[in-house]
Amino acid sequence: MSEEHSPEYYRKKFIPLIYMVGGILIAGTIITFAADLMGVADRFGFTNAIIIALSIATVKASAVIYIFMHLKWDINLKTISLTLLCTVIFLIGMMWLTVGSEIDSNKPGGTDTTWSHE
Amino acid sequence: MEIPYNSKPRPDTGLYNGKAGIWIFLASEIMLFGGVFSAYVLLRVGAEPGTWSMGLMNKWVGAFNTLILIASSATIVLAWVSLKLKDWAGFRKWKWATVVFAATFLIVKWSYEWPAKFTHYDVKFVSNEAAADVYRGFMGSDFQEKQKEIWQKRYDPKKDTFKDVKLKDMPLDGHIVGYWDKKGYHDVGSAFGLSFWSHAFVWRYDERNVSKRKGSYRDTFMEKDIVAIELAPTHGVWPDRKHASTGKIQYASASDDHAHGGGHHGVRIEKDQISRLSSYEPAHSTFFATYYTLTGLHALHVLGGILVMLYHLLPISRRMYERDPERFTNRIEITGLFWHFVDLVWIFLFPILYLL
Repeated sequence: MSEEHSPEYYRKKFIPLIYMVGGILIAGTIITFAADLMGVADRFGFTNAIIIALSIATVKASAVIYIFMHLKWDINLKTISLTLLCTVIFLIGMMWLTVGSEIDSNKPGGTDTTWSHE
Repeated sequence: MEIPYNSKPRPDTGLYNGKAGIWIFLASEIMLFGGVFSAYVLLRVGAEPGTWSMGLMNKWVGAFNTLILIASSATIVLAWVSLKLKDWAGFRKWKWATVVFAATFLIVKWSYEWPAKFTHYDVKFVSNEAAADVYRGFMGSDFQEKQKEIWQKRYDPKKDTFKDVKLKDMPLDGHIVGYWDKKGYHDVGSAFGLSFWSHAFVWRYDERNVSKRKGSYRDTFMEKDIVAIELAPTHGVWPDRKHASTGKIQYASASDDHAHGGGHHGVRIEKDQISRLSSYEPAHSTFFATYYTLTGLHALHVLGGILVMLYHLLPISRRMYERDPERFTNRIEITGLFWHFVDLVWIFLFPILYLL
């Protein structure tokens, strides 16, 4: 991390934080798995199951990025934050180009309206 | 000449060289995995109903590996913190723990999960009559309800395709435990008695390719001159019937000399009843092709991480730590950043590939 901390900080604050994040990650995995075993998709619909599973995964990923990868302390470093921002914008843009065309097109047998402007 | 900012951060960026480098590398990795994730989503959305076979995945193994990788992510941070506290023994302890977790992940994947798939088969049939004959043979005449339940669990999570898919195209899955050629029956056996190390490893047959035998297509039925196979339907999924059946299908009973333990009782399926036989290899379906691409790419990253971590445990690293502790600690930090990224990828791969 970008800031220098005392050994006391690592012992009393950072190490407990690691265990807490580890606990969140394990709990998130168990909840996701248990929800699948209990048939969440059958009870609440497949789309809702996707939303639930990916939301939990996003929370887990955020915990890893924020604490384990030190972004809590390093996000103010422009080299890191701008690199990540540009990457994410570029990735979303590229995905949109392909996914966007998929949204416009029809399944076989239907009318392909990809290039229609009406 | 000494390279500047190897240990100390550059004043304007606040980063030492290695950290700036790893973040740019991780940005390229986001693009790489973003690309394959996008491909997966597009292929999944565009897949015809009933062709996405993710219900064949072993969720327990996926969950176990997720927990293992999460644990390794925590231990690698603890290794870095140990160096910050000038605790070399603590560093080695947590670093070894990380290596053990990472190796466990790969061992589970490459010695169990993948081999289990390469020895697990789907059989599709030439006609609805041939399929019904086989299903009736080991499930009785009321097989359709049970088969519908299995189909929906494995291929149809939205439960809307059963009525549209023909019986002959609903695969019967299991292990090949034996086969018949013109000389008689042969037991394929298995290494150490484990079905996932069966000798029937990536067998293939597709009646549509019979005319193309001179090409690159591999036809195990032709190679072994097979006239019928003995398939043990996946234990715990398909009903486990032990009595002999009527019609063409013969059951291996406990008294037969080619009966198999562990509750497996093979169904004899004639070659002329089979339209396609495929293990869960990449060529099985679009799902498995993307599954192996995604998990294989991820596993290569895990392997790379293990090699780097082992290097940090060699005596040469100890000498570097003694010469320049700050620089060595920085190395462990950027190794950790890479490792957390590998964990991040798996956090999304697990629900996408195994659960949804």
